[in-house]
Parts: sequence; structure tokens; C-alpha cells
Amino acid sequence: MEKLAVLAFLAYGLTVVAGALIAVLARSLVRALAGLILALFGVAGLYLLLSSPFLAFMQILIYVGAVGVIVFFAIMLTRPPAGAEEWTPRPAGRIVLALVSGAAPAVLLGWACWTYRPEASSTPASVEVTRLGEVLLGPYVLAFELISVVLFVAMAGAVLLGFERRRER
Amino acid sequence: MSAWKVVQENPLLLYQCVALVLLAIGFFGVVWRRSLVGMLIGVELMLNGAGLSIVAAGQLTQADGAKAQLAALLVMGLAAAEATLVLAIALVVARRFGHVEADNLSELRG
Repeated sequence: MEKLAVLAFLAYGLTVVAGALIAVLARSLVRALAGLILALFGVAGLYLLLSSPFLAFMQILIYVGAVGVIVFFAIMLTRPPAGAEEWTPRPAGRIVLALVSGAAPAVLLGWACWTYRPEASSTPASVEVTRLGEVLLGPYVLAFELISVVLFVAMAGAVLLGFERRRER
Repeated sequence: MSAWKVVQENPLLLYQCVALVLLAIGFFGVVWRRSLVGMLIGVELMLNGAGLSIVAAGQLTQADGAKAQLAALLVMGLAAAEATLVLAIALVVARRFGHVEADNLSELRG
């Protein structure tokens, strides 16, 4: 990689890691959401570095825009009380469990990535947006339609769940 | 060949390293967080790592870059659908229990 690309990669990578750590460790959920958005912006930068600007734009549009707003709604609508659940101390074994469950799949996959690494070039191939559209509406039109059906079903299910009345027991 | 040399010739490993860090932190968050919304944030981090790994693998190897980008778009769509459903479920849970603390979401006594 070029020197400048290495610098950009380091900057974006550190942004991603710092944002992810804030998202996981912040006590206030709103701050956690801010960390998540920081990490999402960092990943968008990495997409730019991979010469896929369309995907970076979509990342900002879908993740930072839509998912960020949805998570914010979830935080506000479930309104954790003052001294909320994230403040209370965890049982001692919890942190060990969390660390092990986080590290185990990452170490396993990292070992697999290192051992079976393919031949890779250092310059990413650039793909025209028109080609993306052709592939999406040509051979992969079924996936395109199915993802819209999945989105519709998810939205309809969410609305249905939102109408649920509390049953008398 | 030293590890640094390998990484210099094969930057795919660097991107996969970032993706794996996202996976590890996201998984940690899902186990560590108490509320459903905090877990949702962890899941979003993991899905982002998956998308990053797919795009890096498609763009930096001989594989078709367009397919990789479309697969990442698919992941984004699924993440949006999942976030919507988790929002609805958290809403129902908050209405029924008054909180969204995952450890205490049980109606069984004893």
C-alpha cells in the first residue's frame, strides 16, 4: 500500500475501534449510540479506501441514517429510568464470559484467515455503479426482490407488534 | 517471511483484522450489556464487521467486486430489518415488564 493509504487506513481503523469500544462500554446508551455512529463512519471510510464509494454512501445513508434513528427511537421509547440497568454492577463471572465469548470466535476466524489467506492485490478493483445495477437486476434479481419482501415483512411485523394490547391476567 | 512482510503484500489481512475486531467487540457487547437496546448495538457492530470483510475480500482478490458489494448491501438491508424488529420487540417488552433488562425477562416463578 502507499504511504498515504496506510495513514488513511490507520485513521479509519482507529476510528472504528474507538467507536466500537465506546458503543460497548459507555454507561449511557445515548453515548453508546454516538460511539456506534462513529464506528459506522469509520467503516464507511474503509469502504472508500476499498474504492467502493457507492457502498460508503449507502453505509452512511442506511446505517448512520436509518439504523441510527431506529436505535435512538428504541432508547427513547424504552426509556431506562434514572440509575438504569447499565449502571448496576455485573456478577464477577460476567466479564470473563464476555471476554471469552468475544475473543473465541475472533481468534478462531483470525487463525483461519491467516492460514488460508488467498493471493490478494494491494490495489482494489473499482466497480462502476452501472455494473452494480446490471448485476442486481440481471442475475441477482431474485435476491433484490426477496430483500424488499423481507424488509416489508419486518416493517409490517413491527407495526403489528406495536399495536399489541396488554392482556389481562 | 516475517509477519509484517506478509501483511504488506496482502492488505486484505489488515481489513479482515479490523472486521474481526468489530466481531469481537460486538460479541463482547451482546454478552456484557443488560438491556436489549445495548445488545442491538452489539449486533449492529458485528454485522458491520461482516460487511467490511465481504467487501474487502471481493475488492482485493480475483473475486468479482460487484458481487461482494451487492452482498454487503444485502447485509445492510437485513441489518435494517433486524433493527426494526428489535425496536418493536423492545417496545412490547418495555410495555409488558416496565424495563428491558434481559436477565429479568421471565414470568415463571420459582
